[in-house]
Amino acid sequence: MSSPKGAVSENGPLEQKKQGVKERKISQRIRNMVSGYLFISPFYLLFAVFGIFPILFSFYLAFFRWDGLTEMEFVGLNNFNIIFNDPLFWKSLYNTIVIGLMGTAPQLIAALILAFALNSVLVKYKGLFRLAVFLPYVTSIVAVAIVFSVIFSNQESGLVNSFLGLFGIDPITWTRSEWGAKFAISAMIFWRWLGYNTIIYLAGMQSIPNDLYEAAKIDGASLRQQLWYVTIPMLKPFIIFTVFTGTIGALQVFAEPHIFQGRAGREEGITVVLYLYRDAFVSNFFGTASATAIVLFFIIIIFSVINMYFANRIGQSKKVGTGK
Amino acid sequence: MSEKRKTLMAKISLYTLLTVVALASLFPFYWMFVMATNPNNMINQTPPVMVPGSELVANFQNVLDSIPFFQAMLNSLIVATTITGGVLILTSLAGFAFAKLHFPGRTVLFIFILGTMMIPPQLGLIPTYFIITELGWLSDLRAVIVPGLMNAFGIFWMRQYISSSVPDEIIEAARMDGCSNFRIYWNIVVPVILPAFATLGIIVFMAIWGDYLWPLVVLQDQSMQTIQVALRALMDDRVRDYGMILSGTFWATVPLVVVFLLFNRLFIKSITDGAVKS
Amino acid sequence: MKKYSLISGMLVLTTVLAACGGSDEENAEAQTNGNGAEGNNNAAEGNDVGEEDVTSLGSDEAEVELSFWLFGATGYPELAEEYIEENPEVSISFQEIDMEDHHNNLFTALSAGSGAPDMAAIEVSEIDSYKQAEDRFVNMYDLGAEEIEGDYLDWVWQIGQNVEGDFQFGIPTDIGPTVMYYRTDVFEEAGLDSDPEAVEDMIQTWEDYEEVAATILEETGKPMADNPETVFNAKRDQADQAYFNEENELILDSTPYVKEAYDDTAEMIQNDYVANLGMWTPEWGGAMAEGDYATLLAPAWMQGVIKGNAPDATEWRVASMPEGGGNWGGSWITIPEQSEHAEEAYEFLTWLLAPEQQLKAFENMGLFPSTPEVYDMPEFADATDEYFGGQNTAEIFAESALQVEHVHKGPQYGDVNAEILTGLENVYDGIDPEEEWEDILNRVEQRISR
Repeated sequence: MSSPKGAVSENGPLEQKKQGVKERKISQRIRNMVSGYLFISPFYLLFAVFGIFPILFSFYLAFFRWDGLTEMEFVGLNNFNIIFNDPLFWKSLYNTIVIGLMGTAPQLIAALILAFALNSVLVKYKGLFRLAVFLPYVTSIVAVAIVFSVIFSNQESGLVNSFLGLFGIDPITWTRSEWGAKFAISAMIFWRWLGYNTIIYLAGMQSIPNDLYEAAKIDGASLRQQLWYVTIPMLKPFIIFTVFTGTIGALQVFAEPHIFQGRAGREEGITVVLYLYRDAFVSNFFGTASATAIVLFFIIIIFSVINMYFANRIGQSKKVGTGK
Repeated sequence: MSEKRKTLMAKISLYTLLTVVALASLFPFYWMFVMATNPNNMINQTPPVMVPGSELVANFQNVLDSIPFFQAMLNSLIVATTITGGVLILTSLAGFAFAKLHFPGRTVLFIFILGTMMIPPQLGLIPTYFIITELGWLSDLRAVIVPGLMNAFGIFWMRQYISSSVPDEIIEAARMDGCSNFRIYWNIVVPVILPAFATLGIIVFMAIWGDYLWPLVVLQDQSMQTIQVALRALMDDRVRDYGMILSGTFWATVPLVVVFLLFNRLFIKSITDGAVKS
Repeated sequence: MKKYSLISGMLVLTTVLAACGGSDEENAEAQTNGNGAEGNNNAAEGNDVGEEDVTSLGSDEAEVELSFWLFGATGYPELAEEYIEENPEVSISFQEIDMEDHHNNLFTALSAGSGAPDMAAIEVSEIDSYKQAEDRFVNMYDLGAEEIEGDYLDWVWQIGQNVEGDFQFGIPTDIGPTVMYYRTDVFEEAGLDSDPEAVEDMIQTWEDYEEVAATILEETGKPMADNPETVFNAKRDQADQAYFNEENELILDSTPYVKEAYDDTAEMIQNDYVANLGMWTPEWGGAMAEGDYATLLAPAWMQGVIKGNAPDATEWRVASMPEGGGNWGGSWITIPEQSEHAEEAYEFLTWLLAPEQQLKAFENMGLFPSTPEVYDMPEFADATDEYFGGQNTAEIFAESALQVEHVHKGPQYGDVNAEILTGLENVYDGIDPEEEWEDILNRVEQRISR
């Protein structure tokens, strides 16, 4: 791995060193170039094979009809035509957004409140609470999806259903009802990520200088006012980060409905990625699946741009404390 | 007096909130254990069982009969450690190059890497699958490991870390001593960035350990599956045995929980650092 | 503890028997979101195969090494030991894995042009999608398959060939002839005779079926059938044509059969004769044990599922399906074109799937034979099943198997099926059947244009 001339030279006599300074500068530049390219090359090589090429091929494949076994057939824009005319595609997009909102928005608010509570001087055993809240993050998404699938079992004896039964509510067929499925999937997202976002907000809160609170207290600000006028503005970069990652994550939800509703999903919970997976790996419709992948790509871009736009506006309109 | 009362009220509500959330966070773990120790017919009871039963071993035995549990755990471990190790080396090398070495096109190349972070992995999913097929890597751990070594976030993160934590002077001094760039990386940069290794290592390991979609697509042979893919197969049986399903899930979760509890400070610090620094 | 081991024993039996057939229905679920089942626990033949999914037979020095991919628990490796003893020049390695994984692997190997085994099983719901790729398989007729053709039921043999009938993709293994399982307790509660012969007399046509359904609903409040899927399947499989004609053109709209099956099922749903217990869900299994519905229209291998879900029930009996049987499940063993030992593989297959071995596979693993000769063998014909009150169930299944007629399915059968089942579920949720039918046609059009 070392650069060509890079063997460690013994400390030569001073004379030689001085003479060589200029040469050395040039050769150092070349050396840096060589090792620089060498050090970064693995990424680009991998990206060429597993990044660029597949992406280009996806764009290519999106214009063909192909089942993986027989000849490919050029169909122009027909694949896009098919998915845009497929109510299920729009349903999957709708589901993705609704589940994303249901699983993320309340979760971030809860995380904020929770972090505020954990940051309070009044609370002891913070470490223990922090640990408990963070533990779900250590569980893999698949494990969460399986456990919650059993918790949200359709049976009357299912955990949530028997709980509801205590209040005289009829059992809900979670996997097969419009809002039941969405609620269950959102609950999985909520549970797993709440602690993660809490910890991030907590780190942000701990970086807020204490004198700001002191000053607020002297001004007679209540706890709520402190939260609203000191904590939240100072947390902006952290909030932007969590919203950003939350949005991207929400647009790519797959494992939860895949496990909760079965390999091919169902219309109540199918997400865009599951729609894509189903077309490609269940039905062998590789053309429409590739077209879906491309549409998903643009959807993510659009959402990212929207996010960035708001992040910038917030950044401009108010002074924001910088992260660490 | 009223000030004191106010504080007390605040304390009570804070503790209530935190206790409720903590219990809600922990309850699924407890319940997993309850289910993993009860026979399947108990599980259909109303009201549901809430205390552990005696079928711990029997349920896990059923898991072993149904999926190659230990093989799958081993596969996951192999995949996650190989990728983590590889990613740490590759990203720190690249991060070092971007942070400290001057070469033409550096900025553009770096921005390019940042740009790739915007691409959803699903975009190239289908062709990558066919590439893996062509390479003959289907149901081969390499199918997951090699693409996993590509980590743009890690390069970005390492670059930030190295720029701020390795002073240029040390590097200059080492150069005066005739150190090669790799030597500088190895002898000077690496020791300084060991904490960054821990942080990024944990982030990468966690992400790979939990990865699902890609292993599901390329690891079709049961003996080659990672634990996440294998766990899902438990849901496939004709007669659904919740005791078995949750037994498998429970025992697949326990090791990570134990590791987390042992190193929880490092864990939490890593996750926040990873998020905050970017 | 004792009870527990009984249950687990039954569970093993379940998967064992289930191996003899997956179903188009299951596949349909896997293909699209629709229908009654939760969908993820389908197509799961033989997950119990576990770690030891590769078995090798024969010596390392054998001249010909054959590889054989299977799904589910077939017992074929044990059966083949005898063959290896007699043919020491051959060794065989078996790979037995989960049904869906198996077909995925096979698909990729064929698509990639390398990595396929010498022999591979293909399930009935999958086989039509491979028929467009004749170049990927060896034509069994080139190896002399017309000699053994007569051993097999015509309709089974035909499923394994192309439309023209000159390319034989595979040799049949087992089949899933359908019958009507029913609960004596529900019949008795409704004041009906529950004796198998009486029930068969009572329910000869679908009209009879609905009449009995009305009585049972009135007297007991229980539905006649478990879900729209099984009812629709039973009716559809009695029609002369399914969803596509032999040119693979959609005939849903132009032929009456499917629409009739759909309408009848919809009517029964609206009359509350049908519950909506999704197949393979826990509630479905639970209802099986409790006797929450009167009849289960299902294939022979479903007996394993019944025994697994209701190990202690003594009330299940078997009767013939009203208006004739159908088929649900079964596999064909193909030889991929990549194989370098097609002839040796063929030799082995003709032995393995011959009537004598099919009888053994039935005795060992409950695989229902596709060779009618077995039905007359005393070991088969005289077998009784204590679980079903000592009935001679094999005879009823065999009778059903002999009634089946070949129907062309087409590569996109599963997609269409899934949409119809989704539609029936919507009907269950209160949508007007006619409106839903229009919707189904649109969705199907959508789906098959991909």
